[in-house]
Amino acid sequence: MNMQTPVKSEAIVRLEGVVKRFGEFTAVERADFEIGRGEFLAIMGSSGCGKTTTLRMLAGLEDPSEGNIYLDGERVNGKATWDRDTPMVWQSLALFPFLTVQENVEFSLKMRGVGKVERAQRARKWLDKMQILEFADRNISQLSGGQRQRVALARALVTEPKILLLDEPLSALDAHLKVRMQAVLSNLQKDLGITFVYVTHSMSEAFSMADRVVIMSRGKIEQIGTPQEIYHAPRNRFVAEFLGSANIFTGKLVEKAGDLWQVETAHGRFAIKAPQTPAKSVGDTLSFVVSAEKMQIGAVGAGVTGIRARVVGEEFVGASAVVFLETESGEELKVQKSHGELASVDLHSGSTLTLHWEPEACHVLPGE
Amino acid sequence: MTGNDNRLINAGLKLHIAVCVIFIFAPILGSFVFSLNSDRFPSLPLGHFSTEWYRLIWEDPFVWAGFFNTVIVGLIVAVIATLLGFGGAYTDYRYNFFGKNVYLALALLPPTIPVVIMGLAMLAFLSRVNLSGSAISIIIAHGVMCSPFAMAIIRLRLSQMDPDLEAAAWNLGGNEWATLRHVIIPFTKPALFAALFITMAVSFDEFAVAWFVSGLNETLPVKILGFLQGQVSPRINAIGSLAFLSSITLIILAQMLLRNSTKDKS
Amino acid sequence: MTRPSLYSLTLALPLLIWQLAFFAVPLIFLIAISFWTVRNFQMMPDLNFGNWERILMRGIFWDAYLRTAILATASAVLTSAIAFPAAYAISFKLSERVKQWVIFVLIIPFFTSYLVRIYALQVFLSDEGIINAALWMLGIGPFGMLNTTFGTLVGMVTLCLPLVILLQVFSLNFVNRDLVEAAHNLRCGRLRTVGSVIVPSARVGLVIAALFAFILSFGDFVSPLYLGGGNPPTLSILITDITKSGQQWPRAAVVALMMIGTLLTVAFAAITYAYKERGK
Repeated sequence: MNMQTPVKSEAIVRLEGVVKRFGEFTAVERADFEIGRGEFLAIMGSSGCGKTTTLRMLAGLEDPSEGNIYLDGERVNGKATWDRDTPMVWQSLALFPFLTVQENVEFSLKMRGVGKVERAQRARKWLDKMQILEFADRNISQLSGGQRQRVALARALVTEPKILLLDEPLSALDAHLKVRMQAVLSNLQKDLGITFVYVTHSMSEAFSMADRVVIMSRGKIEQIGTPQEIYHAPRNRFVAEFLGSANIFTGKLVEKAGDLWQVETAHGRFAIKAPQTPAKSVGDTLSFVVSAEKMQIGAVGAGVTGIRARVVGEEFVGASAVVFLETESGEELKVQKSHGELASVDLHSGSTLTLHWEPEACHVLPGE
Repeated sequence: MTGNDNRLINAGLKLHIAVCVIFIFAPILGSFVFSLNSDRFPSLPLGHFSTEWYRLIWEDPFVWAGFFNTVIVGLIVAVIATLLGFGGAYTDYRYNFFGKNVYLALALLPPTIPVVIMGLAMLAFLSRVNLSGSAISIIIAHGVMCSPFAMAIIRLRLSQMDPDLEAAAWNLGGNEWATLRHVIIPFTKPALFAALFITMAVSFDEFAVAWFVSGLNETLPVKILGFLQGQVSPRINAIGSLAFLSSITLIILAQMLLRNSTKDKS
Repeated sequence: MTRPSLYSLTLALPLLIWQLAFFAVPLIFLIAISFWTVRNFQMMPDLNFGNWERILMRGIFWDAYLRTAILATASAVLTSAIAFPAAYAISFKLSERVKQWVIFVLIIPFFTSYLVRIYALQVFLSDEGIINAALWMLGIGPFGMLNTTFGTLVGMVTLCLPLVILLQVFSLNFVNRDLVEAAHNLRCGRLRTVGSVIVPSARVGLVIAALFAFILSFGDFVSPLYLGGGNPPTLSILITDITKSGQQWPRAAVVALMMIGTLLTVAFAAITYAYKERGK
């Protein structure tokens, strides 16, 4: 992993060649990265990619099979979760149903032997901060989803830890509440200035809150970077496909004229503008992506290669629509345009369109 | 109701449920009625109402002694079986290990072995190790028979627990023992009480084992067997009815506990 | 592999030790004493195959064995047949609330003394008992029901019916409702749906329920003794008879071991059948 952007300040967490195996199955293979003090880091991937296992290793709920984990400079392999101060907010929230709201928040103080009076005082301070003090004596079952979320946050933060681990905490909420809680979490993290490690499968959550995003797939880290970096410069095919809006082409680099390259693909020869691409020489195979918004429909000017493709169907995405197409060789393509732009296009399934794009719209995948 | 439902068939099926319930409960209700009947051997038409049989057992010191033995044995058995059952249920819930199937078989199989055989095996074994003929031998035997029931009830409750709950408590700074005390036990509390009541009720009823195993200290079911073997006496109905009423009180208490606990499951 | 912690052992071991010491060891001990000899009403450790010989060569044992096996099979079949329509109706035709109540009612018999129930049944079934008196008013009977095989079966069904209905209900509750509706939708009639969709789907539970009825009836000694008259004996009665006469515990142990062997074989066969994949 020489691709990662340096952390913005001194690291609070460092993973060194961390591997986690469950029997035959490798959940995490060789994770090497650092998390900065006060950083909001999102770990993103589909289910089973190893993101939750990584989080649980930070929490001390799983022990790495290989490698080292450093928390605040201390090697913590084998240190039990109850001896760490790495509270976690669970997907299920895992609130204690037999305790009141305040007792839930007091729990970790009680485990640390804090006296009754101080416990109540500190718990109530956090309930107040999370704006749920009025529910202190309620049962968990009497609270709404958003209120429970706040109890879970208060319970995790009451010991004033340096780091908070969150495992898909918003996945059970409806869209509106989700956005509201995203704002709560973002503001909370900025106010407290502590590190948040946030595991999610949702790109919108990760990209809207995180300083940096780690993308994982099948136990491997595919890319680490800021949301902008990842969005505009996906490192490899997996990340590009994961982001979901890209058309990927593979071909042979046949000519280099400054930053204007010529690539020979199955669909013909394309010009791409590749300013900051890593070393590729003529004859190399390379892949490049063109995002769906940058695809053009219609007549092709001189010297520009077009691709003919059949319409499969379309899908509405708010103010725009995504048109799904298939080339003669069966390759799938996507075009995203506003409804206005599509009004004059024949989108009946089976009709054939010609697609093209500007050389500037191409991004070469450096990891392929 | 849709067109797939035929009223006549449904009525017939429901009638069949009623017949089964009547068949099952006829002897139970019968023994109630007979216990309040003046006839020594009731038939139709029934004799007149009488509390004679209750007066007779009330005045019988042996019945009282048997009753106290039953209660004391039942209490001790309930506590032992619930503790053992809790350990087994938690082990099954939390751990996977080599030989777990054998562990579970040992824990759960006793009720499937005929009581006559269990009684024979235990009496032979316990007399060999000089434990027979005492209340302890009954407690041991009932512990074996009752702990699977306790284990099943508590295991069921544990399966209703959010699997993250225990890990959340560890993560918040509680070690395993503290978590056991502050999370697992509070969560399973309704099932623990239900297990106490139900194992006590089972112990009340496990007469055959007691019959083989016990010597001098008779429990109530042993007493009943004595009645049956000797002269048939309607006093058995009175004793049975009282034992039934106390068992059913325990069961209803247990049921209420379990009902309430599933309601506040988050 | 990590070393088990003190914590895990503290929770797991008490039950294991208790059941090993007081359940497994006594049963193993039973095997040992089946080879012992009895002299002057005292059991002596020995390696004597005479007990096995004495029991297995005797016609009375095999008569009892056959009788017990037939009774238990009859009870399992009869109970399952009576229970199924009720279980089907409880699972498919009752509202959730009523279902809960019926299930609760069916649990109650487990906490009544079986012996007391059998005593009450004696009053019902005897020649001058409730049923014959009622029949006499109608001008029929009397029928001899006490001390007959019929009496024994009535007692066994009383013992097994609640458990079998409950087990059947639990397995029927797991039958996918969509399958039933799909069958109706494909013009499969009511009865045929039960036979070709519901019963195969719930087979494991139905077989296990019948197995439990067999186990309970096979080991029962109260019904054969007090409703069947005890003569000729079943295996359980044979055990109690042998133990009472002349301290012949080793021979009783042989009978008990034969019973356990039979139960294990039947249980294994039933479970294998229940889980057998269809069409393979």
